[in-house]
Amino acid sequence: MDATRNGHDAREYKSDLKPIWCPGCGDFGVLTALTRALANVGRPPHEIALVSGIGCSSRIPGYTTAYGFNSVHGRALPIAQGIKLANPDLLVIAAGGDGDGFSIGGGHLPHVVRRNVDLTYIVMDNQVYGLTKGQLSPTAALGTHTVTSPEGSLEAPVNPLLYVLAYGARFVAQGTPADMAGLSAILEEAIRFPGFAFVNVQSPCVTFGAPEQQLKAHKEGLKQLAKIDYDPTHRMKAMALAQTYGRELWTGVFYRDPSPPPTYDALVRERQRALAADALPRERILELFAQHDGEPGRAEA
Amino acid sequence: MSTDATRSGGTAPMRAFLEGGHALAEGAIQAGCRFYCGYPMTPSTEVLEYMARRMPQVGGVCINVEAEIEGINMVWGATGGGVRSMIASTTNGMSLMQESMSEMVLGRVPAVIVNMGRGQGDYFQCTRGGGHGSHRMIVLAPGSAQEAVDTAYRAFHLAEKWRHPVLIYGDFMLSHTSETVTFAPPPDTLAALPAKTWVTDGARGRKPRLLTSLGMRLEGESGSGPAEIGPGGHSGTDTTRPMRDAVARHREIAAVETRVETAWLDDAELVVTAFGILGRFARYAAKLAREEGMKVGYVRPYTLVPFPYDTYAEIGARGIPVAVFENNAGQMVQDVRLGVEGRAPVHFIGEISMDGSGFGVGPKIDALHVLEKLREVHPRRGAA
Repeated sequence: MDATRNGHDAREYKSDLKPIWCPGCGDFGVLTALTRALANVGRPPHEIALVSGIGCSSRIPGYTTAYGFNSVHGRALPIAQGIKLANPDLLVIAAGGDGDGFSIGGGHLPHVVRRNVDLTYIVMDNQVYGLTKGQLSPTAALGTHTVTSPEGSLEAPVNPLLYVLAYGARFVAQGTPADMAGLSAILEEAIRFPGFAFVNVQSPCVTFGAPEQQLKAHKEGLKQLAKIDYDPTHRMKAMALAQTYGRELWTGVFYRDPSPPPTYDALVRERQRALAADALPRERILELFAQHDGEPGRAEA
Repeated sequence: MSTDATRSGGTAPMRAFLEGGHALAEGAIQAGCRFYCGYPMTPSTEVLEYMARRMPQVGGVCINVEAEIEGINMVWGATGGGVRSMIASTTNGMSLMQESMSEMVLGRVPAVIVNMGRGQGDYFQCTRGGGHGSHRMIVLAPGSAQEAVDTAYRAFHLAEKWRHPVLIYGDFMLSHTSETVTFAPPPDTLAALPAKTWVTDGARGRKPRLLTSLGMRLEGESGSGPAEIGPGGHSGTDTTRPMRDAVARHREIAAVETRVETAWLDDAELVVTAFGILGRFARYAAKLAREEGMKVGYVRPYTLVPFPYDTYAEIGARGIPVAVFENNAGQMVQDVRLGVEGRAPVHFIGEISMDGSGFGVGPKIDALHVLEKLREVHPRRGAA
């Protein structure tokens, strides 16, 4: 399965570190699907930046050969934007869990979407806090029993697909390691998409997750958009489909903008070029900020 | 855990065999805490998990919040409404809460905040903080599960006595060490508290109240400086007033609330000092040293802010060297040096010692290790 189309091999993108995820964790499948997708995209590992926050799934950068690191809980997206804007030639991927992305880091999501920075955000959504041993997650269904909601949660879950669509994202998809070929294809398409691309991966927690959220249940309930007549170019249809989150497991591309506009990083470069060609001399800019009437800070001619 | 702790009421003090984190949580419940929130992070998760089970039984609220920043601000709101409220977090989560903690000092919001830290690397964070605006917390460092219980009562008492947030600083070992504890309010927490004239629980039938860190003051409210919002509207703001008031209040607090545990200082040739649960290792090491003929004294600050500078000043005046044992790279040692004022040698004998997870107890948290260090720095080295 590590076959190549372009001389690259998925094994090139896997580091020698052995993941410490629990045996059977969905994140193993995400790692494999991601390295396959990267091999197909064909950018060499040193041109890829993979950044995450904190959580079980946020260990993923260490298991690849891409430039990457895990950072601070919830902050993968601002860091990824910094990477992309400072080094726009890099292929940038942010990854993490549902707590990292939709709870503590949830405030960053609308801004990366509206800015449309060209990066891919992969969330391994398992509806539970695994690293800290089973607390309530923002994507856990109403009534979920955990150690911090022993009588059942009273809060409705976040619907990540719907939120990201409503924020205006131009590529929104969902996958599961229960369908590895499908997941690899979705990740590859997301990485290739010019602009912010979001992939929610239903990645089961074998230790603290509910039985209905395990791979076996995924396989039984899997509904693939690729197998029906679904046109992913309509945001409102995608939002209607996204309403099924938490009840049905649809996988595939929910929405893809048929004519994506220029990304933020492209616009920045365009403006840099325009201004470089017709830049104000430094003296003129100093003059704009200078204090007058003998005030200190006046620019010297 | 014993089931005793899940029952409230009754006449005899409850006893239970509990982990320190759970004991502190139950202590807070017994002290009247009725609002709690937290975000999972080892080793403060244990407090959250206990509260999630326990709080609904007593008519309180426990929320697993979306992050620490939201948590501290919910506690701000709940406290402002007059309900005894608490949040516990760990190290990194505490870093996130610093802005609100600073404003709560300046705005005089008497919440209780717990840092179940990883090791003791947050001493600077707890006692100085990453916050702003001339703020200091009141910081209590319990050294056992029983003291964690007592500290929960005391924290709420001090918070309302001084109308000031109180920070409890524990660590992984305190949170995870199981001991028998008794739930009864310490005598010093039984004194009458001032009326909660600041509570923003509805203004009907009385003048409005304002809980603010911005220096605004309502017409008729006591305090220095001009009233900010009178019948005629705004009349200016003095944002430095809360800062100056906080500094003055801290002097008053330091004068009467400083607490420290000491032993064997009368004939000491060397003093070992540590805070939190590490104090027990230091105390035991001092006892072992005495069995070897080294006259070692012992000091454990219980209030990290206000710090017991006077105790160390007396040791410094007698020229007795001090060995500081901490599970960090040397933080409280700076306060000890300030205390002895250069009049006695101060040796740092601690180090960062945790297990591979970065949370747990490392090999240097050991009384025999402390004893070895005491032998090295004892002025009559090898004399024993």
